[in-house]
Amino acid sequence: MVVSPVVLMIMGAVVGAAALAFVFRRAGGRPLIGLGIGAIAGAFGSALFMVPLDYCTFEAERQSLDRVFGMIFVLAGIALVVTPVSWLSGKLLRRESLMADDQTQGTFRHWWIALPLLAPTLTILVLFLYYPSLETLRLSTMLSRLGARREVFVCVDNFTRLVNDPAYVDTFVRTMFISFSIVVLSMSLSLLIASMAYLPLRGASIYRILLVWPYAMSPAVAGIIFLLMFNPSGGLVNHLFGKWFGIKLGWLNDPAVAPWTIILASVWKSMGFNILFYIAGLQNVPKDLIEAGAIDGAGLLRRFWHIVWPMLSPITFFLIVTNLTYAFFETYATIDYLTPGGGPLQSTTTMMYRVIQLGVQNNDMGKAAAQSIVLFLTVIGMTIVLFRTGGRQVNYGV
Amino acid sequence: MKKLVFLSIALVMVIALALPASPISAQEKTKIDVWIAFQDYRWDWAKAVAAEFNEMFPQYEVVVTGGYSYETMFAQVAVAAEQGQLPAVVQYFEAATQDARDSGLFKPIADALGDRTEINGLTVDMEDYVAPVIAYYTLDGKFTSMPWNTSSAITFTNMNYLRAAGWDKPPATWQEIDAACEAVMALDKAPEYCWTFPNHGWFFEQWMAVQNALYVNNGNGREERATEVAFNSDAGVALLEWLDDQYNKGYLYYSGAQGGDSWSTVDQAYSTQQIAIAVYSSSDTTLYTEMGEEGGFESVASFYPYNGEVGWTGNLIGGATLWLVDGLDPAVEEGALTFLVYFTNTENAADWHKVTGYIPIRMSAYQMLTEEGYYEANPNQTVALEQLAQSTITPATSGALVGGFPSIRNVVTAAIDRVLLTDADPAEVLAQAAAESNVIIEEYNLLNAP
Amino acid sequence: MTAAYRETVRVAQAPSWKKTVRSWVPKRWYAHLILIVACFMSGIPLFYALLVSTQTNAEVFRYQFSAGSGLEANWNVVFHERHLHTYMINSVIMTAGITFFKTIFSLLSGLAFVYFRFPGKWLVFGFVLITLMMPTEVLIIALFRFINDLDWQNTFYALIVPFTASATGTFLFRQHFASIPAEMSEAAQLDGANPLQFLFRVLVPMSWNTIGALAVVQTIYAWNMYLWPNMIISNPDMQTIQTGIGTLRLGGGALRFGPLMLGTVIVSLPPVIVFILLQKQFMSGFTLTRDK
Repeated sequence: MVVSPVVLMIMGAVVGAAALAFVFRRAGGRPLIGLGIGAIAGAFGSALFMVPLDYCTFEAERQSLDRVFGMIFVLAGIALVVTPVSWLSGKLLRRESLMADDQTQGTFRHWWIALPLLAPTLTILVLFLYYPSLETLRLSTMLSRLGARREVFVCVDNFTRLVNDPAYVDTFVRTMFISFSIVVLSMSLSLLIASMAYLPLRGASIYRILLVWPYAMSPAVAGIIFLLMFNPSGGLVNHLFGKWFGIKLGWLNDPAVAPWTIILASVWKSMGFNILFYIAGLQNVPKDLIEAGAIDGAGLLRRFWHIVWPMLSPITFFLIVTNLTYAFFETYATIDYLTPGGGPLQSTTTMMYRVIQLGVQNNDMGKAAAQSIVLFLTVIGMTIVLFRTGGRQVNYGV
Repeated sequence: MKKLVFLSIALVMVIALALPASPISAQEKTKIDVWIAFQDYRWDWAKAVAAEFNEMFPQYEVVVTGGYSYETMFAQVAVAAEQGQLPAVVQYFEAATQDARDSGLFKPIADALGDRTEINGLTVDMEDYVAPVIAYYTLDGKFTSMPWNTSSAITFTNMNYLRAAGWDKPPATWQEIDAACEAVMALDKAPEYCWTFPNHGWFFEQWMAVQNALYVNNGNGREERATEVAFNSDAGVALLEWLDDQYNKGYLYYSGAQGGDSWSTVDQAYSTQQIAIAVYSSSDTTLYTEMGEEGGFESVASFYPYNGEVGWTGNLIGGATLWLVDGLDPAVEEGALTFLVYFTNTENAADWHKVTGYIPIRMSAYQMLTEEGYYEANPNQTVALEQLAQSTITPATSGALVGGFPSIRNVVTAAIDRVLLTDADPAEVLAQAAAESNVIIEEYNLLNAP
Repeated sequence: MTAAYRETVRVAQAPSWKKTVRSWVPKRWYAHLILIVACFMSGIPLFYALLVSTQTNAEVFRYQFSAGSGLEANWNVVFHERHLHTYMINSVIMTAGITFFKTIFSLLSGLAFVYFRFPGKWLVFGFVLITLMMPTEVLIIALFRFINDLDWQNTFYALIVPFTASATGTFLFRQHFASIPAEMSEAAQLDGANPLQFLFRVLVPMSWNTIGALAVVQTIYAWNMYLWPNMIISNPDMQTIQTGIGTLRLGGGALRFGPLMLGTVIVSLPPVIVFILLQKQFMSGFTLTRDK
């Protein structure tokens, strides 16, 4: 053991004690009590992931990369325990209600009736969300195959090998590229079209129906229809391109083009949704504001940028979150029908696609679980960044 | 508005429910579940034979369940095995042989049959099954699984293009393909590309066997458990260099699809005459011959192209066999065995061969069809069987036995993909693929070896 | 923008909405042009799919832009050779099951969170809240194993049960119930109604819009599910449509586009109709729920 568990616990205790003492002081409690609670919480946190792992990352024969991962797990454990404890003690010390908008009037008398009412939801959540989450964590430290004679514990190898795997780094970068392209293209085109479609033109309602329906198509169907049109040998698009421009593109078999076919299909499918919401958002922009701008003589773009765009920010924020989720997870079906196997040079293999390829087709569940955790952290990280930068001023009054 | 929607939803549900549902039968019969990996006309064929069988043997009820592909069947069996929910018979493809063997789930056909020559009134004649197939599936000296759909890889040529280019027979070697393609691509009405093959691991394996090169160590895993791949040899590099050259010259069409999904892309290119030559599985000989008839061109089958500088040793078999699950109720096992014998009797073997193009697995079926004059009318159908019959049996041409084979195939097809689409050096790519495959084998053996 | 300024503007003879439009888009036909192009672009893939659904493969590769002669043959492939109706029935059952149970369970937990005070409520609420951040997709490998352990593969349980609890549905109803005056429940209690009677006699009739919104979102979501059924269902008789239509292309040999497109069009109709007719419900449902 290079770093002893006791040292890690002391480290956790110090961090926790400092954090809690600070919280207690600010909330008017006794810092000394905070110090005590924090020390216990921090020590516990440091062991949260390490006890199940049996401190394997700090064994002498392990590489330094493993130790780095070990430290990350220790810090994550400390954060996971200390943060809720400080939040909770802050609230308690300030005597704030733990549920801000809790109803006090009109409640029923026998409180235990709530239990059977909550039981179905809680049972399902525990069995099909909480338990699989823990199981994913456990699997990520294993070599595991369905139907195999045994499982083998491999510490954090499933993670460290990702860092050293250029193919995985590629997959990560490509996932970002494909996802952001889908979100940016789909949303900007949708805004452009919505800013025309919300006008009181003749036939506006017909336009709107003709524009929004693709949302209800499934990602799988989007893949199938684009396969019909874009398949390189015998697809309509290449036939027309050949006839008109004399070129044929490898829509599905050229690694430089294939991701764009996926992006195109996904944009086509997701635009209806974005247009629908942008039309609603634009209709909510007070008309006198636009009029005022017009009288001021502000140019078209300036008016849009200074008046309309800020008013749309709640919708934009909401759409970014939903579109990102779509781009990360739901494009799986589109990819699976358009470029089964993940495309030439893995050019359409997203992180989600890779997880399924590894876990289901290659029956390599441990590595697949580790990759799902990376995917999970990526999505959570991006959501947190979004909320920090844009989500604060947003009010959900769409 | 809302009412309208609910009405239409209700209507859809009524229509959906009114459509014919699959028949459900529940009787006091010995139920024999058979899982196969097909969901197309081959499944339909198997179900039809099972129906005949059920009529002939009212005490049994064979239920044939289809699956999407060999690869998913493999996963499905692993899942079923974990809970002891296995059917009586499972169709496993050749790449799953080692996994099936390690799983300990199956009973060799030889053990189940014993020395019986008759079962439920059906004659059993193991001598009548084709030799290379028996050789492939004889493990530890025991005949293990019942052959059903056995194929080899062969070449289909659109002779209209070749004749126009001055060739009156299909090219036989890599070098001839190169020469023929040069001529074909120089035609006024040249196809878009000259030739293609599905980027499925099996074709790489065929090309290794043809050069008498091993795929994995320890005599292709037949002397001892394979621990490393051997395909990163000169033979492997030569193959990738040739493919790369063909691709760079614009002769080779690559659809970008890999593994099980690559087949249909070749079908499409060949049937629409966008290519002149398709290297493909003999399993679809019937279909590929028909494509020519429908598209108005002469579609000729020939042997698998080999490296003219090295010569031809022999080809592998492919396809799948039917495995009998171990530990069945004796009545079920008896029924399953009876079905396997019936399923592969002379008439069924002949019919299956004619419908698909898989080789006739019974010599008697081959003789019967020869006497009928079937092969005179259908010369393409003999190619695969002749190719296998002329093959020299060596460890290389017996086919590899290795754990995690399906995953290794994915690594190999990805390597071919990289060689074709980038400037990467074939030898380096292959070395890297070998390293990746070795990890797979090592981990497989760690988890699965008894 | 101060109120005074706004007032000045209004006094200064506010231009009519139509004038604004003119100032917003320089020429009206620009807008028409862009919209027509957009409708055309979004419509053409489906229109072409419709055409192909009536064509034979030979007609497809002749790139014929009119209805073909293969509709009957394609129909036979879709419903006789392959069994799209089986997949559709399975999808209908799955969709109905998910939507129904999710709505019921969400109503019950919404009721518990608004009309009951019990110890540790905030903790239970937080417990539900956190699941918003656990997308099923990243747990799918472990879920796959778990469902297999339960021996649920190839059953409707596997398709329905894991998706019947919903943090979003719970919040949706919690929010809605909280907006209903407390007098309602006080009056109901005076009448001697028990919580379930109160829920189904008072709350549900006041919540049809919210229920409808959740139902529309869930229906489209469930109908379009692909990854999970694809993983857990291996028996073709149990497969749902999004994976099932894939079997239409397997005819032995080249992709058969006619049947594939016919199937595609048929399975896309239900969600598209629901979506177009219930757009408003859909939006309010979606704004409040994140799909889960």
